[in-house]
Amino acid sequence: MNPVIRFTGVSKRFGRVVALEDVSLQIQPGTVCALLGANGAGKSTSIRLMLGFETPDKGDMEVMQMNPKTHALEIRGRVGYVSDAPPLYDWMTVQEIGWFAAGFYPTGYQEEYDKLTKRFDLVGSQKIKGLSKGTRAKVALSLAMAHRPQLLIMDEPTSGLDPLVRREFLESMIDVAAEGRSVLLSSHQVGEVERVADDVIVLMNGRVVAHERLEDLKKSVTEVVLSLPSATTAPPAMPGNVVAHVPFGHEHVWLVRDLDAGRLADLCRTHELPQPIIRKPSLEDILLTLLRQNRNQQSNELRPAVPVPASGGTSVP
Amino acid sequence: MICQIDTNNGIPIYEQICRQVKFAVANGSLLVGEHVPSVREMATQAAVNVNTVARAYRDLQTEGVLVSIRGTGLAIAADALEKCRRSRLEMIRERLRYILREALQNGVSSDEISALVNSEWKSLKKEATS
Repeated sequence: MNPVIRFTGVSKRFGRVVALEDVSLQIQPGTVCALLGANGAGKSTSIRLMLGFETPDKGDMEVMQMNPKTHALEIRGRVGYVSDAPPLYDWMTVQEIGWFAAGFYPTGYQEEYDKLTKRFDLVGSQKIKGLSKGTRAKVALSLAMAHRPQLLIMDEPTSGLDPLVRREFLESMIDVAAEGRSVLLSSHQVGEVERVADDVIVLMNGRVVAHERLEDLKKSVTEVVLSLPSATTAPPAMPGNVVAHVPFGHEHVWLVRDLDAGRLADLCRTHELPQPIIRKPSLEDILLTLLRQNRNQQSNELRPAVPVPASGGTSVP
Repeated sequence: MICQIDTNNGIPIYEQICRQVKFAVANGSLLVGEHVPSVREMATQAAVNVNTVARAYRDLQTEGVLVSIRGTGLAIAADALEKCRRSRLEMIRERLRYILREALQNGVSSDEISALVNSEWKSLKKEATS
């Protein structure tokens, strides 16, 4: 099956700021794909590119087999899009805005909208102006889903919403994917992502640092915590693929792919180091370590005069 | 059958579903022959990915806890009660090992652990009866 979204080597700059650098990604139909990363990592820029609100400087893009550069309107008509601050006409009622939006879509929109608003316990006669943030979000979600889009794009849809509304959003996403449609979810609620996502894409400073099945990521990555005798002791070489390494004084934290735990235990014994603590990290732990390493690297780049101690690759003499 | 999923307790979500189904069978809240919710229903109710539920159900079928009844879905197998009672202790043992390892790594003695287990057991029992 063709991917719903495909980016190949996409780059985008705003003046001197690099928003996206050589980004390649694919979203398969019938899946929930989560877009993760710190603020300013390029998540919203990616979404704006998909919807044709921006054009890339370099690279190829396809959204539902269409080019956002030439078919922006067709794409926007066929995807559902929910942002964290959905723009709605304040003076309309819940019912009126559905009727108004129905004019832009094929028949059947109104019926589906009424079904969705009923499911979310919305009152048709209420003015948008007087709605709470959670209820507004439910109106936005109903509007985005009423044409039964093949692709639902959500840009931090649940930020600032109460647990019950967040749960209703999650249920909607699960329903969409269960019907073979796709969801792209950009969110900082890592616990939620962990529940619903099939695939994750982690962006950092405009680059893709991880793009794989959530299950595979969690299965292959191990967290190692090693408490060294002093801050100047060189850490041992990790038997495995080091994804991230963050020192906190004399304590070191690694994220390692395909760790050989037996060999690490032997290494620590031969170098007379304490035994490491090894555990399976949650998605939040993985993300935090990646972000910390990234921040350390950035602050090191800003202070190039200070010699940076070699990490990971060096072994204890 | 209500599944409570916790994404922060270190147990993979599909395993949490498996465990809760098995515990429910062992303590009688799911009866032999009773249907479990469909994959889609369970996914929506627990707010987890459909494929995660499908995987849990597949594992439970392989273990012989669930059987597929033609046309109607999955139900608790005839000999599931016995199996689930046996694996109940095994599941607790795994969790216990995890905690004991943490105690060992932090230099807690076996006497301290035994005393802790006894006092916690007593206070939990008191809570349950009152």
